[in-house]
Amino acid sequence: MFTNFWYSLGRSRGQILGWGLALAILGGYMVGFYDTLAAQQETLEQLLASYPPELMAFFGDMTEMFTPQGYLNVEFFSYMPLILGIYAVLAGSGLLAGDEESGSLDLVLAHPLSRTALFLGRLAAFATTTFLILLVSWAGFAVVVPGTNMDLTPMELLAPFLSLFVFLMLIGMVALFLSMALPSRRFAAMTGGMLLVAGFFLTSLARIDENLETAAKYSPFNYYQGGEAIGGLEWSWIGGLLGFAALFALLAWWRFERRDIRVGGEGGWGVPLPSFLKRRPARS
Amino acid sequence: METTNAIYAQGLLKSYGRVQALRGVDLEVRQGEIFGFLGPNGAGKTTTIRCLLDLIRPNGGTLRVLGIDPQANPVVIRRRVGYLPGELRFDEGMTVESALRYLNKLRGGQADWSHVLSLAERLDLNLKMAIRNLSKGNKQKMGVLQALMHRPELLLLDEPTFGLDPLVQQEVLRMVAEAREAGATIFFSSHILSEVQEIADRVGIIRLGKVVEVAETATLINRSLRRVRVHFKQRVASQALAQIPGVSLLTQDDGLSVTLQVEGEMDALIKQIAAYPVVDMETERPSLEEIFLAYYEQERVKVNSNH
Repeated sequence: MFTNFWYSLGRSRGQILGWGLALAILGGYMVGFYDTLAAQQETLEQLLASYPPELMAFFGDMTEMFTPQGYLNVEFFSYMPLILGIYAVLAGSGLLAGDEESGSLDLVLAHPLSRTALFLGRLAAFATTTFLILLVSWAGFAVVVPGTNMDLTPMELLAPFLSLFVFLMLIGMVALFLSMALPSRRFAAMTGGMLLVAGFFLTSLARIDENLETAAKYSPFNYYQGGEAIGGLEWSWIGGLLGFAALFALLAWWRFERRDIRVGGEGGWGVPLPSFLKRRPARS
Repeated sequence: METTNAIYAQGLLKSYGRVQALRGVDLEVRQGEIFGFLGPNGAGKTTTIRCLLDLIRPNGGTLRVLGIDPQANPVVIRRRVGYLPGELRFDEGMTVESALRYLNKLRGGQADWSHVLSLAERLDLNLKMAIRNLSKGNKQKMGVLQALMHRPELLLLDEPTFGLDPLVQQEVLRMVAEAREAGATIFFSSHILSEVQEIADRVGIIRLGKVVEVAETATLINRSLRRVRVHFKQRVASQALAQIPGVSLLTQDDGLSVTLQVEGEMDALIKQIAAYPVVDMETERPSLEEIFLAYYEQERVKVNSNH
């Protein structure tokens, strides 16, 4: 399992550096502007008042923009679940199905490695990669924050990153489960991406439309705190997101343990379908 | 019975939705033999091999590999088996050496690295090359190497010489023969009759998901069809040649050239031809497909005659 874990983690070097450094630079750059923005609070408040509420809904409570946590939320954490959510969907859906469809999983699983050990190794590598991306991003913030008027310590900044990490784990595990249940990785990524965007819009629009509030309760975005986590983590939300992530991981493992390993894009539906919809290619 | 065999399958069934890939495969591969598994594309060769490693799960039947049920204990089987997949893919981002070291680590370091280096040298495979820069033939060499490097008890090779040049094909066949001499059992699938003939002790023919024949290789070859083209110096009564048991006339051009199909031994035909002045004679082994078709035809005739 550890060989497989280190191998998978090694393959994620590019993602860790690419995503991590890009977000660290963005974060550092954005934090550096806080003092300038705070100095123009009055002018900006007038400007914000003229924005349509539909637009404001997507960035959280913009009236809080001049507090450190409100600023970080609007400028970074409000849209990170969507941006890094795409990473999580792609990484989660490709965690096993990527190698399976390329054909290389066939050879790996012909070695003395159980499916469970492979699954856990890959899962641990995904969690570690996500953690390291966020750690590098956090470092970008932590380096710049002490030089600003933000009344925040680097340690306090960890809270929104923890909230983001837990959210991404759930998205990744949903994508992983979809890749085990649907016929192809591409289909799983597409479905996961659509669910992600739908959840984002639903939760955002529920801020201005009360009728959507009930439906938004089923969206994981509803339980993502973002910058607000600086004021205190909602541990029940963290636990809930982690619980559902574990549930989807369990379902994905259950499917992986019982299904055939595909080669070269071969595959069938993992969900019950009427027989007339089932069609699988022949192979030798 | 099944414990004395390296591979034992009885009534093995596998379907992909409505497509029945295996329709009751019965197979016994003895310990220490080289068994050639032949069949046209789509016959069920790869599906059978992948069932042996628990990469896919049969829908029915009994399967034992080295006396173990693959579904009950796949890891133990995989530790003792070397596998060359038919559709070989590696992580393109690695070098040959790093990929082999990774695969060896997955085996808990079973392979002796000096043995790996020796195999690489014999195959003329550069371990420092990036996999993405390897030709198809070199990737196949790498596949052969990883299957052999830990000196497994059982080798499952799906088209082992596919994509290799003739010299390397010979080297691979030598390596397979050496593995058998060292005590391993080899189960390999192939399209190529000549290589099967060269190294296999026994042969199984799979067609439409069912093993239709298992025979000693020599028996299969002798029983198989040949096409014989003879060019005579003078006109001959070609119908007389077709009267020989096992011989049938395919074409005759102006009585000087005839093409015959011969089933079984050539002795009677050669003696008959010797009575005429011969300018040239060519014999051509049939493709495996023709052998399959011959078997298929025999099976069909058998079924019809039983009704």
